[in-house]
Amino acid sequence: MKHSLTLQIGPATFRIGSAWRAPIDQLADLYAGYPDRRGAIADFTVRLQPTNMLRRWVRPSIFITGDHGLADAAPMSLPHGLLAAEMGMNLQMALGWRRHLLLHASSVERDGRVLVMTGESGSGKSTLAALLGERGWRLMGDEFALLDLDKGAILPFPRLVSLKNQAIGVVQHVVGAQRMGPLLRATAKGDIRHLVPRPDVVARMAQGAMPALLLFPRFGHAAAIRPVGQGEAFMRLTQASTNYVALGEAGFVALTRFVTGVPACAIDFPSGEAAFEMIDRLWDEGV
Amino acid sequence: MDRIKRYRIDPRDACLTCALDDLTLLYHGRSGQTHMVISPVPEMLRAMQDGATLTVNDLWHRLAQSYDLGDRDDALAQIGAQLEALEALGLVRAA
Repeated sequence: MKHSLTLQIGPATFRIGSAWRAPIDQLADLYAGYPDRRGAIADFTVRLQPTNMLRRWVRPSIFITGDHGLADAAPMSLPHGLLAAEMGMNLQMALGWRRHLLLHASSVERDGRVLVMTGESGSGKSTLAALLGERGWRLMGDEFALLDLDKGAILPFPRLVSLKNQAIGVVQHVVGAQRMGPLLRATAKGDIRHLVPRPDVVARMAQGAMPALLLFPRFGHAAAIRPVGQGEAFMRLTQASTNYVALGEAGFVALTRFVTGVPACAIDFPSGEAAFEMIDRLWDEGV
Repeated sequence: MDRIKRYRIDPRDACLTCALDDLTLLYHGRSGQTHMVISPVPEMLRAMQDGATLTVNDLWHRLAQSYDLGDRDDALAQIGAQLEALEALGLVRAA
């Protein structure tokens, strides 16, 4: 493609090609602190291409595709090109990654042990991971936690943290504007702005650690903690995994090891402070 | 309930089993499916794991050695219904 970039995030390498310069320049800027993998053979290719020839210039419209694609993926406008590239990378991981069990979850590490948080979009898992990453925890990822199939460790996948709507202001207040990407207004999920992880997160992105606590956070409710049984945790994690079925027996062994070894709780929280208080308490009790 | 029909576990249908705190998981390699089951299914499968060909009545006898099954006719009906469900899933086969 006319413009391209090769990025490494955790164990995965992506070659991102684009018919337009702007999304690649934005990626290069935001991922400037990541390893330079020019010329490397990538695990996946992402392509941002015009929905048709005319749409390269006239009201540019991006179709996201690559090694793995969805035929009915909704086209995106060029100002949302950065988001399209991020979604393209997520799509490759979700549809093509087989080396680990992929959990749609954020993860942070402290003292060599990992807190995994899973939930649907809007649950607060990205925001909590981003904020904990500024409070002494090591951010490992906000979107995918990679569960090692043999040892059961969680491996980092620290791409840019995708913040939505009111979470943007909350996180920017803590980290400042320097580490924030451009504000992408009125996307399909509302306003989105990306956070660049701290340098130590990138420096240690090959280092996994054993999981110690699984949380199902839910933002916007009165503070409450509920223990989650192993059966419910297993069921919700199979739903949160994009490759559990594809991995077959290896996925079953890895996920049963996880749910039988890691305590799980659902937490409802009305604010970041309430969540931190609950997380600190559960962490001290459980770990 | 068919009291003559015989069932067995084909060795190729043997499941990986994981007991959780509130239910049991079965991974059936042949279909790639994971099943979540509760009592009496794990106990029934365990009682059949030697591959023997069993009627509902045979299985009741095996289970009755280890468990208090209550009313015999009720237990036979439940075991028969569970075997039919397990056959539909491909976990046991009609012999």
